[in-house]
Amino acid sequence: MTMPTIQGTTATEDTARTGNPVVVGLGIAAGGLTAAADLLRVGPAVPEPGDRPLPDPAAFDPAPLIGGRGLRYKDRATRLALLAATYALEQAGLSGVEPDEATGVVVSSNFGNLDTVCRVARVIRAEGVRGTSPMDLPNASSNVIASSVAIKFGLRGPNLMVCNGATSGLDAMYWASVLIGSGRVRRVLAIGVETSNPTVGELVGTMFDGAAALVLETAESARDRGIEALATVGGYARRADAARAADAALRADGGPAGIGLLLADAGQAPPPGAGQADGRDLEALVGPCSGALGALQCLAAVAWLRAEGRGAALAVAGADADDGSAALVLRAAGGPR
Amino acid sequence: MSASTLTSPAAQSSTRRDHEWAVAGTGMITSIGATSGEVFDALCAGRSGLAPLRGFDPKLFRAQHAYEMPEPTRTTGVDRPLRATDLLGRAISEAVADAGIGDDLSRVPVLIGTGLRELRSAELWWTEDAPMVPADLHFGTALRAMFGAATTYTFANACSASLYALGLGSDLLASGAADTVVVAGVDVITESMFGLLDRVHPEPVDAVRPFDRHRRGVLMGDGAAAVVLRAAGRGPVRARLRGVGLNCDAYHVTAPDPVGMIAAMREAYALAGVTPAEVDLVLAHGTGTLRNDEAEATALTEAFAGSAAPPLVTAVKSMTGHTSGSSGLMSLVVAIFSLATGLVPPTVGLVDPVEEADGLRFVIGDPARAGSRLAQVDAFGFGGVNAVAIVERGD
Repeated sequence: MTMPTIQGTTATEDTARTGNPVVVGLGIAAGGLTAAADLLRVGPAVPEPGDRPLPDPAAFDPAPLIGGRGLRYKDRATRLALLAATYALEQAGLSGVEPDEATGVVVSSNFGNLDTVCRVARVIRAEGVRGTSPMDLPNASSNVIASSVAIKFGLRGPNLMVCNGATSGLDAMYWASVLIGSGRVRRVLAIGVETSNPTVGELVGTMFDGAAALVLETAESARDRGIEALATVGGYARRADAARAADAALRADGGPAGIGLLLADAGQAPPPGAGQADGRDLEALVGPCSGALGALQCLAAVAWLRAEGRGAALAVAGADADDGSAALVLRAAGGPR
Repeated sequence: MSASTLTSPAAQSSTRRDHEWAVAGTGMITSIGATSGEVFDALCAGRSGLAPLRGFDPKLFRAQHAYEMPEPTRTTGVDRPLRATDLLGRAISEAVADAGIGDDLSRVPVLIGTGLRELRSAELWWTEDAPMVPADLHFGTALRAMFGAATTYTFANACSASLYALGLGSDLLASGAADTVVVAGVDVITESMFGLLDRVHPEPVDAVRPFDRHRRGVLMGDGAAAVVLRAAGRGPVRARLRGVGLNCDAYHVTAPDPVGMIAAMREAYALAGVTPAEVDLVLAHGTGTLRNDEAEATALTEAFAGSAAPPLVTAVKSMTGHTSGSSGLMSLVVAIFSLATGLVPPTVGLVDPVEEADGLRFVIGDPARAGSRLAQVDAFGFGGVNAVAIVERGD
């Protein structure tokens, strides 16, 4: 009754064993951000939240950068995800041309198709169902981003859309790891994406407009393919509050020693033992990012770990006002804690 | 058509077949019943929840019927937010009571599969200015309030969402991360999805007729289902979950692909450590759409091509409607009751099976009496997200 690919961590009630996949590809698609390292800039990249208008979606157009056909009826969240995926797969040495049963897709987004759903409902109220366009049908289903990514790149492994609120992005990384750890797939393309539009603006206010993607893979498979491991995915937990989630994730990962980077809300106190960590609040940098936050945090963590060559980073998402908090540890690939 | 080249890493892993998990409790609520037992009895009686549209203005649609919750849950002419959340809570309450684990889920992961989340609440917010906050879209806040649950996940995986969640729940148990998980599925009809499906049907749909030559398409239904899944040796055993195959066609955003369906079935057999010939009963996805039923019948025919005694096949959506993300788990609960009672509900509305289903043994007319041991449950969703579960009788 043992799982073939699980290594490392010890099973306890708080330990979510995931096989500790490695990160082998990164991608980002957002106006003003061109590389993961951009997320480590100090100070806001844009004017302070509160005194800026909603970002103009037209300011960054992913379509010409994606290539290929079939984008015409894709919503903006899907386009952003496709572009981030293109970059991440390229770095991971995956062509995305041949059908691939060994790669799954996990996408996190809370508001990706909210505008389509609301617009169609309003059209029906005003004109009846005859006023709607059949082209809106795929986008009315919340998993359209994940399935569109699979179709574009021929990824036939499990395909999962996570819409889980503030923790959604880190949760997606965890479920990507579970799919790998359970032996279902060797690789997962994990993406976090949100968009800014008037509907989201009215419900939420300012929202990050962009996507971040990571390719996770078993260390063995990456080694066999001759692909460099950029970082290792470590412990994770989702709990009632940030302190408990951080504590459980760190315990699952062997404790707080070596945590040099804390990616969390600026108001979040560092977990015991990680007080010396460099604290970064990505939402202060790029604005609220909801379902994209966890993926952005992971990109920032990998960039930081690559620069340091050692240590570990802890990402925390979800505050007291949310239904829960999640925490995830990433470690330097092969390096000491 | 051959799926022989589609072999997932999971299907190749011989060690996984040793796993099995107990379904310790079930919950289910739909237009035709408020508990698992009520729904199952109604299905065996061939009772349908099909009724004239109540929640939406019929003047706005071509289709004039749906499988909505009855009064007072669904009030004619008015709607209120958070109805999906309400149904979800009821299904989980039944399941945890049935399993005897109490309703404190603070240490139990809860995995929710849904096609449409609380998007109906979003529609009411946008069109009628009903109250809504962003966190209403997923179910974590309500699950925390109702059950103290903090390790909660909302997966929006179209019409296979809850069976996908079941597969992920089994992965959690297999990893040792938990010894008990609650898996649930829920959906209430959204105006946008109901309307867009109505828009694309060649002619207005008046009823769901799974696998019938004269089927016109799909009508949606409200509903929720839940199970408590436990590592072996803990609590009652309503049934044993043997394995769940998960994959994606990577073919089309709405059209199904039999190749992906067959691959998911074969992965489920491999994970469960069974051969297709051992399967006694199939709870088909059977949406009554032109393309799903054709593709699924093709896939089932190929999957059971070598079986000396092919399984009984039935589908329940002509009585529950297509309950979207909850439908897979609903079919699982029906399968569990069929395994336990030996009764298999008929496929109401099926008179003249499609050509592709020529070799399939549908239950038509009266419920079948069958001493089944192994059941297969299908759920397929937009985007080609396929999930197939194998479940075994509990005794």
